Amino acid sequence: MSQQQPLGSPIPFPASSDLNGTWAFIQPSLGLILGSSGDQGVTSKVYMNCYTAVYNYCTNKSRNGGSISDTGPTNPATTNSYSLAGSEIYSKLEKYLVKLITSLRKEPNESFLEFYVRRLNRFTIGAGYMNNVFDYMNRYWVQKERSDGRRDIYDVSTLCVLQWKAQMFVNNADRLIEEIMDQIERQRNNEIIDTNLISSAVKSLVYLGVDTQDLKKANLVVYINYFEKKFLEETAKYYRLESNEFLAEHNVVDYMKKCETRLNEEISRSNNYLEDHTKKALVDTLNTVLIKDHANEMYDQFISLLENNQLEHIQRMYKLMSRVPSTLEPLAESLERYIKNDAIKVIEEIKKGGESTNNDNEEVAAVTKAKKSNGPINPKTYVHSLISVYLKFNDVVNDAFEKDPIFIRALDNACRHFVNKNSIALVNPKSSSKTPEILARYADAFLRSSSKEADTYDMNTDNLMIVFKFVEDKDAFEENYRRMLAKRLINNTSKSEELEESVIKRLQEENSLEYTSKMNKMFVDMKSSEDLKMKMRDHLVEIDSSLKDFTPLILASSMWPFSKQPDYVVKFPQDLQDIIDNFTELYTKAHTGRQLDWLWNHGRSEIKANLSRKGKPAFTFIVTNVQLLILLAFNDRKTYSFSELQEVVGCPPHLLDNQITPLVKYKLFEQSPSGPQNQNKPNTTFTIVDEYKSRKLKVNFVSSLKSEQRQEDDEISKEISESRQLYLRACIVRIMKARKTISHPELYNEVVTQSLSRFHAKNTDVKKTITLLIEQNYMKRIDNSIYEYVA
Amino acid sequence: MSAKVVLISSDDEKFPVELKVAEKSILIKNMVLDLNPDGLEEDFEIPTPNVRATVLEKVIEWCEHHKNTVFPDEDDEDAKKSAPIDEWDKNFLKVDQEMLYEIISAANYLNIRPLLDAGCKTVAEMIRNKSPEELRKIFNIVNDFTPEEEAAIRRENEWAEDR
Repeated sequence: MSQQQPLGSPIPFPASSDLNGTWAFIQPSLGLILGSSGDQGVTSKVYMNCYTAVYNYCTNKSRNGGSISDTGPTNPATTNSYSLAGSEIYSKLEKYLVKLITSLRKEPNESFLEFYVRRLNRFTIGAGYMNNVFDYMNRYWVQKERSDGRRDIYDVSTLCVLQWKAQMFVNNADRLIEEIMDQIERQRNNEIIDTNLISSAVKSLVYLGVDTQDLKKANLVVYINYFEKKFLEETAKYYRLESNEFLAEHNVVDYMKKCETRLNEEISRSNNYLEDHTKKALVDTLNTVLIKDHANEMYDQFISLLENNQLEHIQRMYKLMSRVPSTLEPLAESLERYIKNDAIKVIEEIKKGGESTNNDNEEVAAVTKAKKSNGPINPKTYVHSLISVYLKFNDVVNDAFEKDPIFIRALDNACRHFVNKNSIALVNPKSSSKTPEILARYADAFLRSSSKEADTYDMNTDNLMIVFKFVEDKDAFEENYRRMLAKRLINNTSKSEELEESVIKRLQEENSLEYTSKMNKMFVDMKSSEDLKMKMRDHLVEIDSSLKDFTPLILASSMWPFSKQPDYVVKFPQDLQDIIDNFTELYTKAHTGRQLDWLWNHGRSEIKANLSRKGKPAFTFIVTNVQLLILLAFNDRKTYSFSELQEVVGCPPHLLDNQITPLVKYKLFEQSPSGPQNQNKPNTTFTIVDEYKSRKLKVNFVSSLKSEQRQEDDEISKEISESRQLYLRACIVRIMKARKTISHPELYNEVVTQSLSRFHAKNTDVKKTITLLIEQNYMKRIDNSIYEYVA
Repeated sequence: MSAKVVLISSDDEKFPVELKVAEKSILIKNMVLDLNPDGLEEDFEIPTPNVRATVLEKVIEWCEHHKNTVFPDEDDEDAKKSAPIDEWDKNFLKVDQEMLYEIISAANYLNIRPLLDAGCKTVAEMIRNKSPEELRKIFNIVNDFTPEEEAAIRRENEWAEDR
């Protein structure tokens, strides 16, 4: 096979075996390709001639092996009988590149950066051509050398990059980077600069990152070591200075706006000419210098933004600070403190009597009056004030803090604090909170039919639930609420059954099924009592009794907050007693084994009194059972002495005394001798009037009775503490059974967690219960603070 | 019509071909890209000083036929080695030895890998299952071994004997 020499070609190709001739032939073309000898276009002919000459040289040498031709220095591969040619021409090329790159000179009127970028851009294009012109050498010789393990031989394109790096970049890196930094600073100072220049220079650093082990893998070593580190340092320095200077002369709101602008600028800059690798580090640097380092200034400003309700700026602050999550916690704490303080102010306002609010409002006037007399706080004013604080800051959390959980928690903590522990709720620091009771009264106010519509129009379940959520002693609320519910039910004073049930349902959803179980049972009792009532009606018609209607309520004693009052003893006339006995029989037959207790003190009677002027309809009196018996006695006589009445009614004197008071006060009875001090004297007489005077046909002698509120309060707190103790006992035993041994702090924490939905367990109560359980051999102390379960 | 690549043989004959056809040569593909980074706007002449017109014509014929062929991955050496020669290529390469060698040489020069492979496989087929004497005859080789040398070589390569 013989090599075809070009026939009739105008350029005589050098002899394919002649290295120096071949080099002399291609060198001028390489100058054109790499742009060292002017920038006139490289033609296809120049390109092909170079390629062909290299091809001819390599194929000829390869064909002849190392045995014949020895034009170059010793070929490392000559020991093989067959070898690829390339070594000599490769080293000539390498030397040529060194010479070419070191000869490049800056024009007098250009900066080094401009020179570098201009030259590198041209060189990069040339290097691409070179790689193709030397393709034959790359394809066979270079590939063979590298697969034989030579790591200092590269394809021509990489060779060009490495020579540029060695001859141009390394020697001038400091100057180059400095000029890049200078350009970036100018841009930060809002000077117009040629961003293409920076972009090209920065990208070229990536181009120089060659992994000599694996040429296909680009790396950022040069970019990071020469540029990124310095860039981040300079950035931190620049913005540290700028932010300090800016804050010295401007307020925090302006500073925050400035930060937003700067952050946007830097992000768009990094998109334009930085590697992705730098972006995160850059953002971190900016966040630290601009936000974290100035967090204190922002915290200071935060309070005044809250005071002026500047949600827009609060949101701005939140967005900036959420870039550095660790700065949010102090902000949330600050918010929590602020809400607590705000609540204190609102509570103080209520105590002052809310003069600032509308005085036309009858209720407020009543509050003012109540306050002056040091009376109880108006539940509506109190509850609505608490809610107003919650709603105000709920808006702040939703709008400015974008419902960030950290701030929702701060709001919840603050609300839980001020709802339970404000100066109205706590009579003294150690007493239990009055909020549950006041909240129950709030509910009673809008559930009771006797309340005026105008007073309760904006009182509703939603408001109740807002506050309920934050109440710690949920058991205390339940106790109070249930008592008031019980009264509404037995006195039939509920506004609407539907509304009652919807409240219970909401409480159940918010807390638990167990929480409302007693109240649910109360409703069941009320409904099943309906049946009995119908049966009794039939019976009364049958015997043609003077009693026209009888509504017995069968109430499970463990569910209802009523207990038998031992001294409330009454003696019924025979006809009434028969009906009662009859009922008792009816009931015990149907439900054997149940004990029936009559709670006469809770019953109400309606009695028709023919004391009207002639031709007018008879009066209806609403009275207690004792009052009923008193009045029935006057069917026989017009006058009784106190001791005689006591005899007839059968109740103790203090009770009779109390029950007579309204009858005298509302002039149904004439007392002799008169005066409250004489009312309970045995010989004092009471005479019923012949003609009773009242504008109303229905007269209530019950509502003015002195309610025994104090006694009931004691009862409530006793009941709560008893049920807590039971709960704690059950809770501790349950935990001990599961854990066998446990330390005191762990046990305490577990108890607190489990009882959280009912009340906040106090350490002292838990300790007391533990002592009790140890005494009763449910558990024992095995170490100082470690307990063990005793089965 | 779009601009064409005009290949010029060593004996100055011009062959206008579609870019798509000429690009089967990686050499030409790269050069066209290097020198026309914005795409071909007018006919572009490329001298191929190592290829005679008769050979260039054959090579272009091959490129034309294969202009839509997708060749398997360049780097997958094993797949390339074991693949049989394409039927069309087999017929295409039924030429005299001189022409076959020139086509192979041109394919190497122009960097047309699939053609180079087909050519080399054709030569390999010519060698397969032939005795040294037959091969000497086919490839016109004078036996310059002494009988002792030849015997030594046979011994060394005994393991490769198929029988």
